[in-house]
Amino acid sequence: MSEREKLFYKALRRKFKESPEEKYTTYYTLGGWAQDPRKREYKEIADNIAKERGISFYNPSFGCSGAGLGQRVIMPYLISGTKTYGMPEDIHFVNNAAMHQVWDDVRRTVIVGLDAAHTILTKRLGKEVTPETINHYLEVLNHTLPGGAVVQEHMVEIDPRLVSDCYVKILTGDDELADRIDKKYLIDINELFPQDQAEKLKKAIGKRTYQSLHMPTIVGHLCDGATMSRWAAMQISMAMISAYRLMAGEAAVAEFAYAAKHAELIPMATLTPWRRARGPNEPGGLSFGFLADTVQTSRVKPDDPAICGLETLAVGSIIYDQYWFGSYMSGGVGFTQYASAVYTDNILDDYVYATTDYVKKKYGGFAKAKPSMEVIEDVATFSTDYSLSQYEQLPALMETHFGGSQRASVIAAASGVGAAIATGVAQIGMGAWNLSMLLHKESLGRLGFYGYDAQDQAGPANLWSWRSDEGLPVELRGVNYPNYAMNVGHSGEYAGIVAAAHVARGDAWCVNPIIKVAFADPSLKFDWVHPRQCLAKGVLREYVPAGLRDSIIPPLR
Amino acid sequence: MSTYSPQFYPGTTQPAVNRSKYINPRYTWEKLRSISDEDIVTLLGHRKPGEAYSTVHPPLEEMKEPDCPIRKLVEPTPGAKAGDRVRYVQLTDSVYLSPMAPYVRTWAVNWRYRGLDAGVLSGRNPIEGRERDVEKATKELIETEVFDPARTAVRGYTVHGHALRLDENGLMFDAVRRYAFDKEKGVVTYIKDQIGVPLDKNVEVGKPLPEEELKKRTVQFRADHIKITDDKDLLGFINRIFELRARSGFNPEEVKSL
Repeated sequence: MSEREKLFYKALRRKFKESPEEKYTTYYTLGGWAQDPRKREYKEIADNIAKERGISFYNPSFGCSGAGLGQRVIMPYLISGTKTYGMPEDIHFVNNAAMHQVWDDVRRTVIVGLDAAHTILTKRLGKEVTPETINHYLEVLNHTLPGGAVVQEHMVEIDPRLVSDCYVKILTGDDELADRIDKKYLIDINELFPQDQAEKLKKAIGKRTYQSLHMPTIVGHLCDGATMSRWAAMQISMAMISAYRLMAGEAAVAEFAYAAKHAELIPMATLTPWRRARGPNEPGGLSFGFLADTVQTSRVKPDDPAICGLETLAVGSIIYDQYWFGSYMSGGVGFTQYASAVYTDNILDDYVYATTDYVKKKYGGFAKAKPSMEVIEDVATFSTDYSLSQYEQLPALMETHFGGSQRASVIAAASGVGAAIATGVAQIGMGAWNLSMLLHKESLGRLGFYGYDAQDQAGPANLWSWRSDEGLPVELRGVNYPNYAMNVGHSGEYAGIVAAAHVARGDAWCVNPIIKVAFADPSLKFDWVHPRQCLAKGVLREYVPAGLRDSIIPPLR
Repeated sequence: MSTYSPQFYPGTTQPAVNRSKYINPRYTWEKLRSISDEDIVTLLGHRKPGEAYSTVHPPLEEMKEPDCPIRKLVEPTPGAKAGDRVRYVQLTDSVYLSPMAPYVRTWAVNWRYRGLDAGVLSGRNPIEGRERDVEKATKELIETEVFDPARTAVRGYTVHGHALRLDENGLMFDAVRRYAFDKEKGVVTYIKDQIGVPLDKNVEVGKPLPEEELKKRTVQFRADHIKITDDKDLLGFINRIFELRARSGFNPEEVKSL
């Protein structure tokens, strides 16, 4: 492969004063934690809070077993694919408002088919359903869904400022119907997707009609993901009663509720078992394929499966690693450092594009190679060797990914995405991921940590397991899949492998065309086309999320 | 009947051959430095030198143990016999040609010592066992060729540093600064024990090995030394492991055809 400028080189120069090739440096005289402007800011604020509340608070001098954090250089991080640098604190999921919204947008969403309700209305109740009545119903539902009252007198309603992100739109594969739906209520497939993708999506969805419902972010915060379908179902029923002038409480209304809660419901995530103790629409039940379908980069860059994989990886790492594992397995500082390695400093970008170039040259394009063990071995060996060599030739890069799990995730992700792009098969990408881990471990004599490594040692043995209770295609696996349920630094990458495989094949979606279309909606709060740019806004504290309580509290001092 | 002859580690390149050698219990690690028993105890920080071992049960010979065939088969380690509590030594290996690496040390410990439990992380290699058994192993792990004073370190916590650049003296970074380079003597001296408690008496662990010597002794493959892709024998072994697991993971019968 010809030498090209490494994509991470600029970031390394910004992070360290020495050349990236320099193997030696000086320590202990860098100013400790005070070299980090965020920690200085936090310390000053925390001191005041400690005085006010009379209880001691944050003190970075406790770091490093009392030596104080910052004995080495505290590095800034570049959000990959952007020009935005931030300090490490800016990418903790609690500190970054865009990271709040990326999960909030998933948790607050449910999709409910309209066809069953329309059948009840027409066949059982003798009502007429036309595009005009549907428009009227949607107008009413956009009133009830955020907490507006219909039907009954003297009801208590919700401050619209608290729930301004709450709305419903519809999607359909029926162009004739779509033409007659008010544009403000339509997720327009023809307008949002390239023509070939639009045709495939419309064919898959057919004449059916779905409501894409987004409950208020603040409700997700106060309640949970399992609340969403219940909230939606009640408001759908009330809107149906009002829009079609039905008797409140007649038996047919129960059918609307049943359809909305069960028969026509597509939740974003399934229930997790008791030991995880979360309901539907929580991260533990979000499949890699569904997550890959939420990310919309493939609409604007359909010919670049690498970037589609990278953007999906970023979203997956935040939701699965920083939110899910980082909260239920850790808390506190969480798993920020593990997760952020895949979306910072353009390092994974460099490895993925180097592998993609290799694949294009070797196999003549995307999804051209026949799936085989040979392809897995070829791509994983090239990619792992390339990536390991970068760390070993550039000490600054090695220091940037100072933990073995960071390096392992990034290297295996490049191998996995590369093999997925070569074959268009996510399972082959997973194979390359697993082989990369074995190669990495034997090369360095180390990998991540106990349980981290166990997943990858066992990984090949369940790679091709698709039978019920033994396995699934990778698209349908998720973070609660056996063997994946207690481990950081893998799952976001798996979602990226899924995305890369399907974009490489020219697919318009990965698992579910309805979710792909629902998240194409430009009214969503998070930017699903350019996730990393949106995260960068969060780093700069320029991102305004939903669910703020300003309207009901005194102005902040 | 076929006999089993352990290979210990595949591969033909120097790092692979070193792995095989270090793991093989019939090979005696070359002694490169002497650390007194007292200094080992000081460095570990679990008890004061000369202090009696804390125990969690009476000596086994004073206990009425049940009649058990396994107990008859397995000779207890000295620490177990005496009833020592379980303690640890933890080592960190720099990526810059440390003689050992966590997996390789663990495999070596498993072959060479009874009653020790080693764990593997990228930045540390905890080894737990009965206190006197840990002390014995620690002495060998520090005095021999599998340790380098600059690139290997004893660290109970805040282990951060295995992947960081080296300091101006070629030492692996340690945020707690448990050790320093004595320029006059040319040796590395621990001024804190493995958990970071300052010592009354410093412990010298010897001179760092020259770079060329490290290259000869290391078990680590590196792009600027010998790459794993240079070792076709080892690569073939890894690919075979992957293929066996992938093709026959849930059906061992499949192995026969591979």
